[in-house]
Amino acid sequence: MAAGPYNYSYIFKYIIIGDMGVGKSCLLHQFTEKKFMADCPHTIGVEFGTRIIEVSGQKIKLQIWDTAGQERFRAVTRSYYRGAAGALMVYDITRRSTYNHLSSWLTDARNLTNPNTVIFLIGNKSDLEAQRDVTYEEAKQFADENGLMFLECSAKTGDNVEDAFLDTAKKIYQNIQDGSLDLNAAESGVQHKPATPRSAISTDQAPSKEGCAC
Amino acid sequence: MADKETSDVSSSQTSNPLSRKLNKILETRLDNDKEMLEALKALSTFFNENNLRTRRNLRGDIERRSLAINEEFLETFQVVKEQLDSVYGDVKAMNECCQDMTNRLKVAKEQTHDLINQTTQLQAESHKLQMKAQVADVFLAKFQLKPDEIKALRGDRSGALSQDFFQALARVKQIHNDCKVLLRTNHQTAGLEIMESMALHQETAFERLYRWTQNECRMLTGDSPDISPVLCQAMLALQDRPVLFRYSIDEFGTARRTAVVRGLIDALTRGGPGGTPRPIELYSHDPLRYVGDMLAWLHQAAASEKEHLQTVLKRCEPSDVQIQDALGHITEGVCRPFKVRVEQVLVSEQDAVTLYKLNNLLKFYHNTIGQIISTDAALLGTISEIQDLSHRMFFNSLNCHANKLLDKVELPPPDLGATASLTQTLDLLKEVLTCHDSSVVTIDDKRQDFKQILTSVLDPLIQMCSVSASRLNTVDMAAYMVNCLYLMQSAVALYEFTDTRQEMLQAQVEAHIDTLVNEQAAFVLNRVGLAHTYATIQQHQPKRGPLSSLDGMDTLTVKSAMNKFDSYLASPDSLVLPQCSIILSSRNRETVKKRSIDLICQAYQLMYDAICNPVNEYRDCQAIVPRTPDQVLKLLS
Repeated sequence: MAAGPYNYSYIFKYIIIGDMGVGKSCLLHQFTEKKFMADCPHTIGVEFGTRIIEVSGQKIKLQIWDTAGQERFRAVTRSYYRGAAGALMVYDITRRSTYNHLSSWLTDARNLTNPNTVIFLIGNKSDLEAQRDVTYEEAKQFADENGLMFLECSAKTGDNVEDAFLDTAKKIYQNIQDGSLDLNAAESGVQHKPATPRSAISTDQAPSKEGCAC
Repeated sequence: MADKETSDVSSSQTSNPLSRKLNKILETRLDNDKEMLEALKALSTFFNENNLRTRRNLRGDIERRSLAINEEFLETFQVVKEQLDSVYGDVKAMNECCQDMTNRLKVAKEQTHDLINQTTQLQAESHKLQMKAQVADVFLAKFQLKPDEIKALRGDRSGALSQDFFQALARVKQIHNDCKVLLRTNHQTAGLEIMESMALHQETAFERLYRWTQNECRMLTGDSPDISPVLCQAMLALQDRPVLFRYSIDEFGTARRTAVVRGLIDALTRGGPGGTPRPIELYSHDPLRYVGDMLAWLHQAAASEKEHLQTVLKRCEPSDVQIQDALGHITEGVCRPFKVRVEQVLVSEQDAVTLYKLNNLLKFYHNTIGQIISTDAALLGTISEIQDLSHRMFFNSLNCHANKLLDKVELPPPDLGATASLTQTLDLLKEVLTCHDSSVVTIDDKRQDFKQILTSVLDPLIQMCSVSASRLNTVDMAAYMVNCLYLMQSAVALYEFTDTRQEMLQAQVEAHIDTLVNEQAAFVLNRVGLAHTYATIQQHQPKRGPLSSLDGMDTLTVKSAMNKFDSYLASPDSLVLPQCSIILSSRNRETVKKRSIDLICQAYQLMYDAICNPVNEYRDCQAIVPRTPDQVLKLLS
């Protein structure tokens, strides 16, 4: 039923960062539209997309802010880290320079987000194995050293794209369950919709709606 | 066949009874005569003794036995007869009973005939009535609300809305519509009455629905509003009453507006959990960061609010205008706190570069947020007002700088290079143009801005240089201006959209270079003493006689001047004006040199032609001008 996807319990805010041309917008497009955008124009400033996913039976709405990688937008995109629950840090496995810049992106992410923000490292363009310039092991080690989650994806084939977004959400959800993420605090990047709705009617409605949505 | 033959034989012997008897006995086949055997067998049971007496009594015995048997028969059948008689009696009694009953039934039938007729009539009537009742029921079911529906519409004390309410409401609407059919048939009174009552129901129901929706909307002031499916349904139902629908959206907008204002204030003053990310106001010392963070926050809030609005209205089909109006309403509240802060930043900011960056940032966000909210919205109006202000402040700052330049004009330095204020202003200009290079606004905006920036910086600069050069002599002034203009040119050359400016500057440079070239050539001719000669030749007209006869143009004077010129040719650098050697640009320096040489060569050519012309009556002209113009050109260049 049409109302189904709207009944989400949480909103998680994500931000996608990384050098120009690593495929940030394509990843977002692949995730939200399940399509590969072949001639993706440069992002101007920031763009945003949403999708509702399910983690541990909870419907979660992801609000994903895709930032421009161009240096001239750095001052603008910097302002969007505020209040992100998840940060997807993307590099291009076929271009070593994008990998080398990760530490600067990571510094930004650490400084500008809250301490509980889940940072996920994504090596994009894994379909271009022949042109690989950064090995999986090397990036994995970098991720481990910095306590990041890591996957290699392909926005073109869609390989691992879902997992990257979902794993991040799972980790955030886990943080909420652990109590390490305080929902009541402003700008935690997570907004909770009360599980027990206020009005009596909603309670009446809830079971039937769920039945329909399954 | 044998029997036949036998009978044929016996017939012939019928005459003799004995023989007949004998024959009969002889013919008897005891084996075959079962009756006989049977009889004999029976006889054997009582005929035990074969003596005379018994033989004589045999017949009597048999007869006696037969009698006994018959008696026995009689006795037995007597019983049967009696029983049959009793059965007969019973059947007769039954028959009588039946007869009686038949009679009685007949009587009863005659008596009830009327009754049956009556019943049948009644039954038919009842059937008809039942039909009517059914029709009436169906009619009522179709055109009247059931009690529980009415109850659902009126609601209970808690004021909560249930699914039943919406179903009942839909039915009321349905009935109201169906009444139109009634009105078309000859049930108009019923139709009108039902319509009226349904309209009444509808009104009360909508009033209740509106109040509920209003209350529900008022509560949606959280960071992320919990928009229940019932609210969406309520909005859908309210769409039938455009006024109430609009009021409800307004109510929602007002609640969200409060939430957005609170959210902004929280982000400004409280920041994230445990202070990370830090509150935006902590960055108020860094205007770009401060304003940028606020704008980014507003951008995100606008996007989220649009989503919330779309969620509430997801079952309706709101027009874009409605959505945009509501969004405008929601985002209106943050305008003031935002505007106050940014204005403060802009007013207290002196640095033109920062102001310019702020202006670009505002322009960018006006564009970005404009993709979510329509440009009519108050927020965008505010942003564009602030952007105008920043634009004005920026040009104010530039003009201020320019005015200061003109107020206190410095004297040109002895080396005729740039003054401190020129260098400083050009640095500022470069910085402004550079930050535009890295800015985020569109090319068209850039072109427009550049024109204005260049005008407001370069025009006063040129004016300043002219004023400061006014006290110098011509050569100093030309050199100084060439230098100043060159510095401006090179400052601007790196950037886009400066072509027209560069051309203009180049034209001015050319003018000053012309001056320098003339001065340089005149200086050389003066120094070698050919100035008079040259001027005379230039003005000479043949009718005034040969040149050599004119005053100061005699062979000797000319020759001595030409000798001096020759020594100049040996070391051309000795007669370069000091001002020409301090031109900053080597290209301009070369141009001056080259063009002054050209000019000197032209002058020489003129003099050479005149002197070698026999009309002018110079004797031994080869001795006066030993070098051909070509040679002079070669020597000088």
